[in-house]
Amino acid sequence: MSVSTEALRQSPVLAGCGMVRAGKNADAIDGVKPRLVVEPEAAREVAALLGWASRERLAVVVRGGGTRLAWGRTPAPIDLLVCTRRLTRVLAHADADLTATVEAGATLEEFNTALARHRQWLPIDAPDGGTVGGSIATNESGPLRHRYGTPRDLLIGVQLATTDGKLVKAGGNVVKNVAGYDLGKLVSGSFGSLAAIVSATFKLLPVPASWQTLVATFQDREAAAHAIASLGESQLEPVAVEIVGPAPYRLLVRFATAPAATKAQTEQARALIGTGEIITGDAETAAWRRYRERASAWSGAVLRLSWLPAGLPEVLALIEQLAQPEGSVELMGRASGGAGLLRIEGDLEWMASVVRRLRARADLVRHVTLRYAPAELKERADVWGDLGHAGTLAGAVKRALDPMGVLNAGRGPI
Amino acid sequence: MPSTVDGRLVLELERICGSASVVREPLELLTYECDALPYVREAPAAVVLPGSAEQVQEVVRACGRAGVPFVARGHGTGLSGGAAPVRGGVVIGLSRLNRVLDVDIPNRRVTVEPGVTNLEITRRVAPFGYYYAPDPSSQQVCSIGGNVAENSGGAHCLKYGFTVHHVLAVDAVMPDGELVHLDSAIADATGPDLVGLIVGSEGTLAVVTRAVVRILRRPESVRTLLAAFDSIGAAGTAVSEIIAAGIIPAAVEMMDALAITAAEAAVHPGFPAADAVLIVELDGPGVEVQELFPVVETICQHAGATSIEVARDEPQRARIWKGRKAAFAAMGRVSPNYYVQDGVVPRTKLPEVLGRIRQLEARCGLRIANVFHAGDGNLHPLICYDEKVPGQAERAAQAGGEILSYCIEAGGSITGEHGVGVDKREFMASMFTEDDLDVMRRVRDALDPRHLCNPGKVFPTPRLCGEVPGPYREHPIEKAGLGERF
Repeated sequence: MSVSTEALRQSPVLAGCGMVRAGKNADAIDGVKPRLVVEPEAAREVAALLGWASRERLAVVVRGGGTRLAWGRTPAPIDLLVCTRRLTRVLAHADADLTATVEAGATLEEFNTALARHRQWLPIDAPDGGTVGGSIATNESGPLRHRYGTPRDLLIGVQLATTDGKLVKAGGNVVKNVAGYDLGKLVSGSFGSLAAIVSATFKLLPVPASWQTLVATFQDREAAAHAIASLGESQLEPVAVEIVGPAPYRLLVRFATAPAATKAQTEQARALIGTGEIITGDAETAAWRRYRERASAWSGAVLRLSWLPAGLPEVLALIEQLAQPEGSVELMGRASGGAGLLRIEGDLEWMASVVRRLRARADLVRHVTLRYAPAELKERADVWGDLGHAGTLAGAVKRALDPMGVLNAGRGPI
Repeated sequence: MPSTVDGRLVLELERICGSASVVREPLELLTYECDALPYVREAPAAVVLPGSAEQVQEVVRACGRAGVPFVARGHGTGLSGGAAPVRGGVVIGLSRLNRVLDVDIPNRRVTVEPGVTNLEITRRVAPFGYYYAPDPSSQQVCSIGGNVAENSGGAHCLKYGFTVHHVLAVDAVMPDGELVHLDSAIADATGPDLVGLIVGSEGTLAVVTRAVVRILRRPESVRTLLAAFDSIGAAGTAVSEIIAAGIIPAAVEMMDALAITAAEAAVHPGFPAADAVLIVELDGPGVEVQELFPVVETICQHAGATSIEVARDEPQRARIWKGRKAAFAAMGRVSPNYYVQDGVVPRTKLPEVLGRIRQLEARCGLRIANVFHAGDGNLHPLICYDEKVPGQAERAAQAGGEILSYCIEAGGSITGEHGVGVDKREFMASMFTEDDLDVMRRVRDALDPRHLCNPGKVFPTPRLCGEVPGPYREHPIEKAGLGERF
């Protein structure tokens, strides 16, 4: 911070790095406005920027679509915001190999639009969309995780810009490959703390030929949990099983495969759980769009938590207890996988107490983190919680890859 | 330079694990001088067989105090020398850590120690209608600890992924002796995916002492067909068309004429005489398989299949798979020795790379059979030679190296599932730049700053005198008929 912003702007490094401008209020993260915003146009420029920042000890935050910048701790002062939104090219789409390489700044929507020409896609349906790089850095997914996993499961190669100013790769272009360390896994969930992701190669899937969803309502948690358990024991293969609550609980079970198989399985699912309405076509698409919008809209705060799948009834009971009377809670979760979002709304003290009460029940719920939350709540409750051993190990890796500690301005889990 | 085992360290190991659990007799140490990559042989100075994670931790700490390198070993079925001992070092044999600690059907996970065999997990959960998906062909004997170290695959990873997609959490002893729990067993640990980093790190970052793995519900229906083609190209077209139709089979395997001949001679699976056979398996809900299987049949017909055999029942399906799984061991029927490679190419480059392998075959004067996971482009060329003929073994090894260079040029990888280990470390430099490798080394240095944890693997190092890549020799486990290569 000893160098003036004007002196920074004069750096020859910035001359070859795309658009440079002063940080604006719209660029602020939790009220912290970056001094400079840079929008590089090539991967090489991202590496040059990171190398420069490390030499000059400038705090850098990498931004993709900016949809998840509110996650994380309130940052320390930010010198440089590196925005990847000019790096949006699909570098390769080997449709017959079901793989594609894309620059990190492309949104999932842009990427999937390009892939759709060959009826293929990257089945990541995080509610707030976001970019490819941001999806990897946060390892964020949505309801389709039930079938397709999270970004780390589909990532087969990655190119990174490092703080020593280099571009490096790990993995490759083939779906099966065990040569070298899987740095793609390492940066999954790293929140930009280790390196900047500049491009990524994914294995793709064919877009399903048809979709149907069973929507069922349950008055109490036992009935909902029972339905979910019987689906799990069956040999039906849904692509998503979502639960929304507290009571009345809504269950959404989605199937997507060849048309006759989709239809038959949805009907079998209804017969199995004994209730529900089947939606198809545009109504089905619209229902999931509304679901996504609901998951990404927030006031109050949004928490992320995990649980053991069979612990669902107890988790639902715990959430019901939290609900009253001071504030409201709503769970939207992967019913079979044991992960979900909890939207809470009430006064600050109550919201902080919800976080404390959840973390006190480590026997039931783990990895309770704050996502969207007002800065005042972040002051009252640790955003990331205790990382345990992972924090120590990841810290050692962080010091090796970012020795000057310039990446991410203290926002991330490491 | 690392230190070597001395009397003091031996006493220390005996104190930790009991004197009966420390192997020092030269004859007994021979058992541990290699894994299933027999050309790399180095008797360890000592082998220790701990009976608990705490003992592993103490052994690692004792090695650390003495500055002696250590190598974790499961059941020794690795094909790249990942468990090959380090001169003067300690081998930590994990075969006594072989307990299944928890079978948790409601949560669809099983907790095991590293010495549990892959197939044991499926055996334990099969009565409940579940299975463990990764299926390396050595699954009857290979250990989960080794699977985790190598990120093992199998025939069904096209649809179901690799070990890394099925390991939810690990306990591991880090090179500094810390016993850590890396928890994503309850979904979504916060922060970088360290479990994903450790899986596939070939034992160079940690010694895994416990793994929590995901189990899957058995699919309702499985259907398998065997299609014969008069060219590899036609079979390749069928594979591409199946994928283009939006179908992801559970497995797609291909064998060429020489591999078919060998399999027929060995186990008589009743394969047609053809230039290529394709095995395609679909699984899933009955209605789905019923809908998609005829599509696969039609595609095979249109691609020019000369015959299609659909397995009517489980015995017929088992027979088809027996022909495929026996292909490696069956090479003994057509050649005294063979050398196996494990390259990967983008699926669409298969015909081109197979063409180059054919030219190489003509040029080097050695027959090369091809058996491969066609769905994911993972080639296993089997280079036939006779070690009694001077120069043939070396030519076979050279041909193997050349095939790897074809794979790299086609945009593929030097290893799809066998690992880099000692065998392919010099090829790492042709797949990755020095900068790429430098970042990997920094990650390694962060977790193992003294390079005591399985040193000399994965990363290219200057070769020592007399150390040359060698040809394949049959492993004792294979000789005993306990395992096969896949």
